[in-house]
Amino acid sequence: MGKQSWLSKFGVHGTLTLLVIWSVLPFLWTFQTSIKFTRDVAAKTPVLWGYETTSSAYNSFWLDDGEINMWNVLLYILAVALVAAAVATIGKRVQRGWPFFVGSAAVIAAGLWQFPRIWEVETEYEFLINSIIVTVLTMLISLSIGLLAGYGLARYTGISGAIILVVALGFRALPRSAFVLPYFFGASRIDRWLEDSGVGTWDFPIIDFPFIDELAILDTRLAIVLALVAVNQPFTIWMFRSFFMDVPREIEEAAMMDGASRIQAFRKVIIPIMWPAIIATGLFTLLLAYNEYLFVRVLAPTEWTLPVAIVSLTGGESSRTITEAAAASVSITLPIVIVIILFQKHLVKGLGAGAVKG
Amino acid sequence: MTKKTFWGFTIPSVFVMLLLMVVPLVTTIWLSMNKLLLRDIRNPEWIGFDNYREVLGDEEFWAAARFTLQFVAVTVPIQMTLGLGIALLLDKVGRGRAIYLAGLLLPFIVTPVVGTLIYKDLFDRGGLIAWLWEVVTDEQFVITATNVKWLIIVQSVWAVTPFAMITFFAGLQTLPGERVEASQIDGAGYWRKLWHVTLPHLRVLILFVALISIMDAYRVYDSVFVFAGDRFTDAHTLQVYTVEVAVDPQIGRVGKGNAIGVLNVLGIFVVLIPFLFVTYRDQIKERN
Repeated sequence: MGKQSWLSKFGVHGTLTLLVIWSVLPFLWTFQTSIKFTRDVAAKTPVLWGYETTSSAYNSFWLDDGEINMWNVLLYILAVALVAAAVATIGKRVQRGWPFFVGSAAVIAAGLWQFPRIWEVETEYEFLINSIIVTVLTMLISLSIGLLAGYGLARYTGISGAIILVVALGFRALPRSAFVLPYFFGASRIDRWLEDSGVGTWDFPIIDFPFIDELAILDTRLAIVLALVAVNQPFTIWMFRSFFMDVPREIEEAAMMDGASRIQAFRKVIIPIMWPAIIATGLFTLLLAYNEYLFVRVLAPTEWTLPVAIVSLTGGESSRTITEAAAASVSITLPIVIVIILFQKHLVKGLGAGAVKG
Repeated sequence: MTKKTFWGFTIPSVFVMLLLMVVPLVTTIWLSMNKLLLRDIRNPEWIGFDNYREVLGDEEFWAAARFTLQFVAVTVPIQMTLGLGIALLLDKVGRGRAIYLAGLLLPFIVTPVVGTLIYKDLFDRGGLIAWLWEVVTDEQFVITATNVKWLIIVQSVWAVTPFAMITFFAGLQTLPGERVEASQIDGAGYWRKLWHVTLPHLRVLILFVALISIMDAYRVYDSVFVFAGDRFTDAHTLQVYTVEVAVDPQIGRVGKGNAIGVLNVLGIFVVLIPFLFVTYRDQIKERN
């Protein structure tokens, strides 16, 4: 490519820059709206430069008015940092990474849980928590059963494997509307049974479920997770299968010659080299769960996640201002942007892998 | 791998798909032949094919079907051409590729309803493009029933082009070097090389992207719902129409919604069946 003329190089970069601007323009616009005062946003000619910035839109979207006790904040940050440091030290001691991950997850969960005690938060905070719970659970379930099935489908040569793959591919193409109505119907049927039979209101003597007063499916996070795991399965098994096809059989066969069982070989030999695939598939699952709108709207009329919350709270009759809507949009987008910047390589590779072979 | 081990590995996934995809699909077909209201979701009443008869005589259904087809027919070719073009440009860039990629991927990864909301903001009163429009034409820009369809299409192209782009880009990375060199020795120019070497190499991928894009465009929901809402019912696609019929708190006709849902599935099968057939053949070939 050394012989490219100066002109064509300029042309390539110029065009790409224009395309990038086209891609990110709405984001930039929304971001600058979110940090403006309402008077600047309402100005007849947009104020593009030299306006005063404020974080008030973010404050009023997420936090209740009220004084923030700085000592509490400091204590909170200190506590989280201390626990995180402890987990990191222990994690380093213990070989293999998983205690570290579990520990870090626990610290983050505890931090999020305690957060409302430091700041008076708006109800939006609950929707954020719902989003996190739904996303994490969907990823855990979807990836673990998908990983097993993907492996089985890559190694088995019988005809039933082919049938499962083709049927799954068909399911992947079907519109959500074909699933969401029967889910709704089925869930309300089960709920009726739980109600009529009294099972839903049982007092379980030993296990006291936190956060659950009455066992039900409709309008719970469980309903969303189940629906998402289901519609995500076809994609997950195809993706994992295509990654497993690249792993030579000899690797696990060698381990099995040494006396390991199939399961042991899978756990000790295959999984460790599959991390890039797990991350790539996990990213798509994360996007799917975090971005879902329709299922949440229909199956969980009050247990919203962030996308439904933002549409409902910023739509027509709501009293939210333009700046608050923009702040909400930025807040919901920022986590994904960070994740994608961190894992961009895996995402690109995953799309490529799924495509080139699928 | 023995059959027993295979089922051991796949049973959790297959169970989930049976319980939450096969069973619901059968339920949908059954529900579509029932009169069932959202308010009274627990008491379906068998009415045979009445729902279908009503839907097929429904002007709103045909309007939604027309707009869906128009949407697919316009967005898919544009996003594919654009995606291929950007992928080819990216392929020529050495340094700075990651930055371009990050920027170009953003519309693809953002939550669709949020992406639509912020795109709409540009055109709403006080938005950047609405203001530019006013400066250039001296008229106020208002979202109307006619232009909202085009706004939906433009926004959609914005949101889905990165998928085509990144897939083609990944495909270009696997272009064998010797074939490119051979064509260079033959003295082929850029466009000839593109036509005779690059595009044939991407043929399978182009087909793949076309299929995925058609399926995804066919079932578009989030962006249309946000853009059109209750205000512009003309711009409803089949999915939005289905859901609105079924879960609107006042109307809430779940039975009729299911009938439209079944018709939706039949509609996509026209594209899907040849594709599934080819996949099945490939799978069988792989096994022998």
